[in-house]
Amino acid sequence: MTTIVAAESLLPGFSTPAMIAVGSAVLVIVLLAVFGKIPIGYNLNNLRVRWRTTLMTALAFTLVTGVLTVMLAFLNGMFALTSESGQPGNVIILAEGMTDETFSTLQFNELSDLERLPEVVRNGAGQALVSKETYIIANQEIHVASPGKRQRRFLQMRGVDDAVLTAQVHAATLHDGGRWFTGSGVQESPGGGLSLIEAVIGEGIARELAKDRSGEAAAKAQNSERLDVGDTFEVIERTFVVTGVMKSAGTTFDSEVWCTQSLVGPLFGKERFSSMVVRTPSAETAQKLKNYLNNEFKAEAVNAQVETEYFAGLSESTRVFLIAVTFLTVVIAVGGIFGVMNTMFAAISQRSQDVGVLRLLGFKRRQVLVSFLLESLLIAVIGGAVGCGLGFLADGWQANSIVTGSAGGGGKFVVLRLIVDGNVLATGMVLSVSMGFLGGLLPSLNAMRLSPLAALR
Amino acid sequence: MKFMLLVLQNVRRNKLRTTLTCLGTMVLVVVVTLVWSVLTNLQAQLDQDKSKMKAIVTERWRIPSQMPYAYARGLSEGAARKEGDIRPEDSMSWSFYGGSTDPEKRTRESMLFAIAMEPRKMTTMLDELDDLPDSQAQELKRVADAMEKNVQAIIVGKDRLAALKRRVGDRFKLTSINYKGIDLEFEILGVFPPGRYDQSAIMNIEYLNRSLEKYERETGRKHVQADRSMNLFWLVVPDTAAFNKISGQIMESPDYKAPAVRVETLAAGVATFMEPLKDILWGMRWLLAPAVLATLSLVIANAISISVRERYTEFAVLKVLGYKPWQILTIVLCEALIIGTLSGLLSAALTWLVVNHVVGGLPVQLGFFGKFYVPAAAFWWGTAVGAGTALVGSLLPAWTACRVRVAQVFARVA
Repeated sequence: MTTIVAAESLLPGFSTPAMIAVGSAVLVIVLLAVFGKIPIGYNLNNLRVRWRTTLMTALAFTLVTGVLTVMLAFLNGMFALTSESGQPGNVIILAEGMTDETFSTLQFNELSDLERLPEVVRNGAGQALVSKETYIIANQEIHVASPGKRQRRFLQMRGVDDAVLTAQVHAATLHDGGRWFTGSGVQESPGGGLSLIEAVIGEGIARELAKDRSGEAAAKAQNSERLDVGDTFEVIERTFVVTGVMKSAGTTFDSEVWCTQSLVGPLFGKERFSSMVVRTPSAETAQKLKNYLNNEFKAEAVNAQVETEYFAGLSESTRVFLIAVTFLTVVIAVGGIFGVMNTMFAAISQRSQDVGVLRLLGFKRRQVLVSFLLESLLIAVIGGAVGCGLGFLADGWQANSIVTGSAGGGGKFVVLRLIVDGNVLATGMVLSVSMGFLGGLLPSLNAMRLSPLAALR
Repeated sequence: MKFMLLVLQNVRRNKLRTTLTCLGTMVLVVVVTLVWSVLTNLQAQLDQDKSKMKAIVTERWRIPSQMPYAYARGLSEGAARKEGDIRPEDSMSWSFYGGSTDPEKRTRESMLFAIAMEPRKMTTMLDELDDLPDSQAQELKRVADAMEKNVQAIIVGKDRLAALKRRVGDRFKLTSINYKGIDLEFEILGVFPPGRYDQSAIMNIEYLNRSLEKYERETGRKHVQADRSMNLFWLVVPDTAAFNKISGQIMESPDYKAPAVRVETLAAGVATFMEPLKDILWGMRWLLAPAVLATLSLVIANAISISVRERYTEFAVLKVLGYKPWQILTIVLCEALIIGTLSGLLSAALTWLVVNHVVGGLPVQLGFFGKFYVPAAAFWWGTAVGAGTALVGSLLPAWTACRVRVAQVFARVA
C-alpha cells in the first residue's frame, strides 16, 4: 500500500485501481518471463526478424489505442466539468419540479427568510452569501459570419444581483486586470448612444467570441486568443463591454456571460429569478438545508439541491457518450483481435519446426504457450504505449459539447478541455494488452498442442 | 475464367486465415457503417427537400423560444397584408407540454413531453409521416380525425409508450412541469408508425388552449405561460424566393415585435442546434472513421503479406510457367479484393438488417435527434470500404509478389 501511495504522489493522474491493473499486468509478464523459463531471447529475435509483420500489427494496436485515448479524454473532460463545477457547501434552489435552470422561474423574490437561516454563511461585511440569478440562453447573431456558416450562437447569460456576492458564493475569481461589475452595471458609450452593459465572461466563451471578431478588430485586440478587459461584443442589439475574464477552466461557468440581472432580465423578458444559490459552511449543512427547503420552506414549494449533486445530474449526455464509446471500442478491439490472431497463427505455422525443437530441448507445453503469448503481449505493449503517447497529444485540446440532465430538456452548452490522465492511459494500455492476450491465446494454445515429432515433420 | 478459379482456390487454401481476415474486415466495416450512418442522418437534416422547403419561426433573442399563441393566425398567412404578398403552402404551430405520470418521482420512465399542435397537420407537415404507405397513412388519419374530436386524445411513439408502461386505450394524468397548475388527463388513441417518432407524443393544441383559459377563469389571473405558449411555428414554402419573400413579410410586420421573431430555414435552425456537437462530429468524421479504415487496411495488409511470403516459391513457379508480373500482381490484388468486397458487403447488409429491423434504430441521443437508421446506401459504402481498404492493404504485398526473382527463390529452395 505504501508503494501505491508513493507511486500516486509521483503519478498524480493515476488512481489506485488503474495502477493496480497496470502494475498487475506488468508483474505477471515479468514473473512469467523470469520464473517461467521462457525463451525470451528467441521471442525477441523472432519479432526482430519478422519486423514488417511485427510493425504492422503494432501499428494496428497503436491506432486502436490512440483513438480510444482521445475518446476517453473527451469523456474525462466532460466528467471533470460536471464534477468540478459546484461547491459542496452550496445549495441551489430551483422552481418546484424543475431540474434545470433553463426552465426554472422562481415565484418569490423576497430573500429575508433565506438570509435569516442560521445555516447560511456570511462574508466579512456581514452579508449572507445568497446569490439570486436569472439564467438566460440568448440567441446571439453573428454579424461577421462567412457565407454558409452559422448566423447565430446560443450564448449562456447569467443575470446576477450583486456580482461580488455571487463570485463569493461560487468561489469565482478573475484574471489579472479584471473587476466585477458594480452599481448600475453600465458604462457610457464612448461614441454616445446606448450605454454599454458591463459583463464578466468565462475563459472558454471569451475564446469563442474572439473568433467572431472582424479582421480589423482582431488586429487591434490586446489579446489575440480571447476577448479581454475592455473588449466588446453584441447581443440583442446592445453592446456589452468585458470588465473581467473568469478563471473558469473546467467548470460550466467557462461558457457563461455574467451581467447585472436588472439589465439583462428585462432585456430578454425574464424578470424573475431562475435560481438562488445559498452558501453553507459544509456539505453536511448543505444537505440539511436542502432537506429543510424541500420539505418545510414556506415561501414557495421549491426544488433544492446540493450544487455538486445538481451538476453531477447533468451527466446524462456523458453517460450516452460513454455507452457509445464503449460500444465502438469493443467492436474495434474485436476487429483488432482478429488481426492479431491472423499474425500469430501465421507466425506459429511458419515456426512449427521451432516449436518442435523447443519441445525437444525440454521446454514444457505451458512454456511454449507462454512464450508465444508473451510475443503477442509484447507487440501489444509496444503498440499500445505508442498509441497512448499519441493520444496524450490530445491533452488540453478544447472542444464544444453539451451536458444534459436525465430528466431531458435544457442542458448547458459547454467548452471543455480534453484530459488525458493516468486512468485514461491505463485504460488504453489495458485494452491493448487485452487485445494482445485474446488475439494471441488461441494461436498459442495451438502451438502448445503441437507434438514435437509432428512439428518437426 | 481459369484465372479467377486460381484466385478462388488461393482464397480457399488457408481457410483459417481467410476466415479471420473476413471477420476482422466485417467487424471494422460495422464501425465505419455506424459512424457514417449517424453523419449521413445528420446531414439529411441539413439538406432540405427543394420541392417542399420548410421554415421555422421562433423567438428572435432567446431560447427556449416562447411566443404568444396569438401569433399563429397571422403567421399561418405568412403575415400577408397587402397586394403582392404571398402565403405559405402549409403551416403548423408547436407548443411543448411536459409532465410526469408520477408527481413524486420524475424519472425518464414517468416523464412525457408532448407536442401540442393541430392533429390534422400530422399527416401533411411532419417529416416521414406525410409519406407513409397507404395502410399506415389511413391509420394515422383515423387517429388524427379522432384527436380533432376528442381533445384529450394523445398519440404516442411505441418506445415512449413502453417506457410509460401504457397501452392504447389507457387514460393517464400528467402533472405538468412547464405549465405549473395545469395538469392534464389524456386518453391514448394511437401509436406512431415505428421509426422516427418512437419517443414522441402529440396532443391537441386546443386542449392546452382551453386549459389555459379555464385556469384564468378559475383563478382570476392569466397563467404565467398564457402569453408565451407557442414555441415554434412551421411554414412550408415552394422555394427559396418564396422563403425570402415571406420571411421579409414577417420580419417587417409590426405584429411580431413583442417578442421579436426570427424566420429561418429548417436547415439553418438545425445547423445552429448542431453547433455544440460539431467537435464530436468532427472527431467521428476525421479521427474515428479514418483510424478504423487505417486499422482495417493494416489487418488486410498483414494477412496478405504473410500469404505472399509463404508463397514465394509458388510465384516463382508461376513465372516459370509463363505468368507475367502483372498477372501475379493481379492474382494477389484479386484475392484481397474478393475477401474485402464480400466481407464489406456482408457486414453492411448485416448491420443494415440488425440496426433497422432487429434493434429498430440506433438510440444515439444526440441533441434533439431521435433514432438513427442505417441508410440503404450503406450497402455500397460497406462494399467500397471493404474493397478500398483491401486494395490499399494489398498493393505493397502484391508488388512484392510480382517482383519475385525466380533464380533467387530456387537457389534458396535448393
